[in-house]
Amino acid sequence: MSGLHLKGISKSFGGTRAVEPTDLTFAEGELTALLGPSGCGKTTLLRMIAGLEAPSTGSILLSGRNITELPAHKRKFGMVFQSFALFPHLTVRDNVAYSLAISGTPRGDAARKADELLDLVQLGGFGDRRIGELSGGQRQRVAIARALAQEPDVFLLDEPMSALDAKLREEMQVELRLLQQRLGITTIVVTHDQREAMTMADSIVVMSNGRVEQMGSPQDIYHRPENAFVADFIGKANFFDGIVRSDGIDVGGAMLTAPAEYLKGSPVRVAIRPERACLDTEPGPNRVAANVTFVRDLGPVREYHLKTDLGPVIVEYALGEGELALKAGDTCEVRLPPDALHVFPADPPAMAAE
Amino acid sequence: MTVAESLSEVAEETTASHRASFRWQTVLPWALAAVIIVLCLVPFFLVIAISFGRKIEGAAWVWDFTFENYQRFFVGTLWPDEVTFLYLQQLGYSFWYAVIASLLAVMTALPFTLLLTRLSRKAQAAWLVFILSSLSLSEVFIVMGWDILLSNNSGLPALFKSTGLTQWLKDMGWFQVLRDWGLANPRNVKFKTSEFATILTMSYLVWPYAVILLYPALSRMDPSLSEAARTMGASTSQVIRTVILPSVRLPLVGTSLLLFVFLLGTYVAVTVFADPAKHTTAVAIYTNIRGANLNAPFGATQAVILLVSASICLTLGHMLNRWAEAR
Repeated sequence: MSGLHLKGISKSFGGTRAVEPTDLTFAEGELTALLGPSGCGKTTLLRMIAGLEAPSTGSILLSGRNITELPAHKRKFGMVFQSFALFPHLTVRDNVAYSLAISGTPRGDAARKADELLDLVQLGGFGDRRIGELSGGQRQRVAIARALAQEPDVFLLDEPMSALDAKLREEMQVELRLLQQRLGITTIVVTHDQREAMTMADSIVVMSNGRVEQMGSPQDIYHRPENAFVADFIGKANFFDGIVRSDGIDVGGAMLTAPAEYLKGSPVRVAIRPERACLDTEPGPNRVAANVTFVRDLGPVREYHLKTDLGPVIVEYALGEGELALKAGDTCEVRLPPDALHVFPADPPAMAAE
Repeated sequence: MTVAESLSEVAEETTASHRASFRWQTVLPWALAAVIIVLCLVPFFLVIAISFGRKIEGAAWVWDFTFENYQRFFVGTLWPDEVTFLYLQQLGYSFWYAVIASLLAVMTALPFTLLLTRLSRKAQAAWLVFILSSLSLSEVFIVMGWDILLSNNSGLPALFKSTGLTQWLKDMGWFQVLRDWGLANPRNVKFKTSEFATILTMSYLVWPYAVILLYPALSRMDPSLSEAARTMGASTSQVIRTVILPSVRLPLVGTSLLLFVFLLGTYVAVTVFADPAKHTTAVAIYTNIRGANLNAPFGATQAVILLVSASICLTLGHMLNRWAEAR
């Protein structure tokens, strides 16, 4: 049994449950992103995996071996912290060689290995610098090299990009992913940035309120969200609250045709991605009259904000799709294809979690 | 009144107000400097001047400019016929007690403060209030408490005897070790009138200062530094040695130096707990100025030498720190 397995792992701080009992499997050699809003328990989960927090219940298995009671310094898990946690009193080389020095590796060998790792993260020649002399991006690379020095069984990263500016973040996401693929280390990244998760991860674990909402590939998570929270948190979505009737879903008097498998009379939430809603003349069900209230160009797409009987609807229209010159005040019809609609049970706690 | 006259009047008023403001800006720094000179520097220079004064046997002292007091301090009054290092020895004890007690206080305050920073905000506040309030206890009060605790008849020695711990120490052969260290008489353990009691009490006196001085640096220290070290295979002792201590080296050195200087002047603890043959310069200064000797010039000389010695130590400490930083 390879990879990392969490069995019924949970964490409570006093009377507060930070992580609900959770079962997860992190496949060997894959990169998994723990994605969720602040306070959802993703960092606590990562810290339990690292051995920095003791789980309240459950067990952690690495390749079938129970490591729940193993202290952090015996787990051989490399970790990159949000603040990078580089030692300011050491040079870049000594930071990278820290785990080797601790394990008793001869100084010369440790320095050689540190220089190799610095080359790997494109920081060759920076070994003698002090940490204070590095930029944010360089510090992050040092933190990655340092965590990799002990050749970890599992590589953990806690919001590693949050201290970087937007452009550098994008570059580092790609670099980190390429590095991880090259080394083939089982990697877990905590992030609240869905774009970061989609860019880097083989699979994404979406969390909210201490529990796992959905785990799957980035495409699964985006195109087949299992609940309203995931649909809302990953990408954008238009939501309509309705009641299931025999001939569709009643949303404020308007009937929507949707693939709903719910009992009649059940309250539901209907979601549709803005790019799946259409402003076309194609005949079909779910055509709703709309007033354009606001239009904005976002470069590759144009966003139309509409007022409909269902409620406000945002439609994303790719500029390459053809000419559509609606402006605020115009009237039109928006089409909501039934296969693009996601229907979830109305779940007040889940809504509160947003 | 014309507009021109009004403007001229306003201009004159503005100029007068600027002049008054300018006068104050010029006078205030000088006034402050004068206050500082009168309150701080004059007493300091007086002590230096008195240190060159001369004691009249059977009377007080007179202003003079003699190096006799300094000679007496370093080599004794009978030099060059005879050399005595009594006062240098006292200075040595001042340094010995102050160095060991300050290091002891810092070494014990460090783990405590580290644990304190990991408590909840509420618990931290409660502890800090308690520690701060303990600073208000006078040295006399604290020494009295330790005097009772260490006294042969009612303190720890009595407890040792009544619980059979003394007999157990004898049976184990450790009693003789305590005797060799001067911490036992033939019958029971004895803590009073010992370097142990002196240093312990002095250390206790400054321990709250050590916590208060270390707290800001330790509470600012990023806890992820220690955690990062742990994930890289460092045990608790390795984390302390390789991460925590180097990270707080400056506050540690600063606190130790400050406590050391503070302890150089300890008086009550030394008079109560130290062997009279091992009394410090601070005690000798008091004896000369206010006590039995009434030799203010020699007391002033000792005070000046203590001050200069402390300054040299602080400078050396600073240089050592800079050297370590450069490395």
